Amino acid sequence: MRRRRRSVDDSDFQDPLKNYETPAYNDDLDRSLMEGEIRDIKITPFTAVLPETTIQEALTEMRDSSIACLLIARDGKLLGIFSVRDVLNRVVDNYDRIMNDPVSDVMTPNPTAVYRTDSPAKALNLMADSGFRHLPILNVDEKVVGILGPRRVTSYLRKFLPD
Amino acid sequence: MLCKVRSRAVRLCCFQGQIWREELAENLTRSQGLNAIGLHQDILSHPVSELELRYVITVHRDESVRHCIQQMRSYGLGCVVVVGEKNITEGKFTERLLIPLLLSGESLDEPVAKHMSTDWGTVSTEDPIANVIEQMESKKLRFVIVVNSKGQPVGLTGQKGVAEYIAEHFPRRVKVQESQATKIFLDHREGA
Repeated sequence: MRRRRRSVDDSDFQDPLKNYETPAYNDDLDRSLMEGEIRDIKITPFTAVLPETTIQEALTEMRDSSIACLLIARDGKLLGIFSVRDVLNRVVDNYDRIMNDPVSDVMTPNPTAVYRTDSPAKALNLMADSGFRHLPILNVDEKVVGILGPRRVTSYLRKFLPD
Repeated sequence: MLCKVRSRAVRLCCFQGQIWREELAENLTRSQGLNAIGLHQDILSHPVSELELRYVITVHRDESVRHCIQQMRSYGLGCVVVVGEKNITEGKFTERLLIPLLLSGESLDEPVAKHMSTDWGTVSTEDPIANVIEQMESKKLRFVIVVNSKGQPVGLTGQKGVAEYIAEHFPRRVKVQESQATKIFLDHREGA
């Protein structure tokens, strides 16, 4: 059965962008926060260890690398995060007893993560609203590709301020 | 094939339409003089007192590290300010300093003055917020101590304070960013 072709007249056409309002940005920082991507910020290097790494080894790694946060991952898959806040809350009182235990015992499992294509504004929102200082960055395959911490955010913001 | 060509044409039209609309919006913004009231300008002009300052824990230099740990835990903060006589700041002790302390095997009952950091940054409540960013960046700090006109610590701020400021003052820009793309585990505190 042959289908009748519908005639298209100009009055039928609806512009899909008719009600689209282009956001207006007041400055470069404003635009970058909204339209930039987290990967535009420095998100590497990052340090990841296996969950069976001992607490003492994890602390040594943090001291030697001068970092405040370790990612716990296996084959690139994020399992947890271990930060100085975990040291304060879960390690310091019992260090002598648990120093040879695996770091997975004291890490924070299932940390909130963002994708590297998310906007910087989203990362700032999570940091402000949820109190996360370190956000693991994932790629589209859910593999860890970096970490965003306070210092890197500050450097990003500083770029937009005059010298 | 025809579908591909058509969808490409539609995308091109949309793209060109977007450019035209962006130019229009920029012209409108300029004509209304709105380009002078951006986030950038606000950070340069708004004072530190507009940030939501966190409580500053002060401990005397003779107090033990263990006492500092208890204080940081009870207030949920990662930093205490160490003061000497007349409440003058002499240093700070942060949760980060716990790592070398634990690895060295030294006692937590030693005075905090032995392990504190003497590198700290201060801003006045009247300073622009940009100064907080500048201090954190130039001195590689996570916390900046906010002092009053007499030099006494009245609060603590840092990257979180700046992030909160941006989120609160530009909710249209920032708050709407929470997409469904990432699974968020808000019941699990990240701990960092």
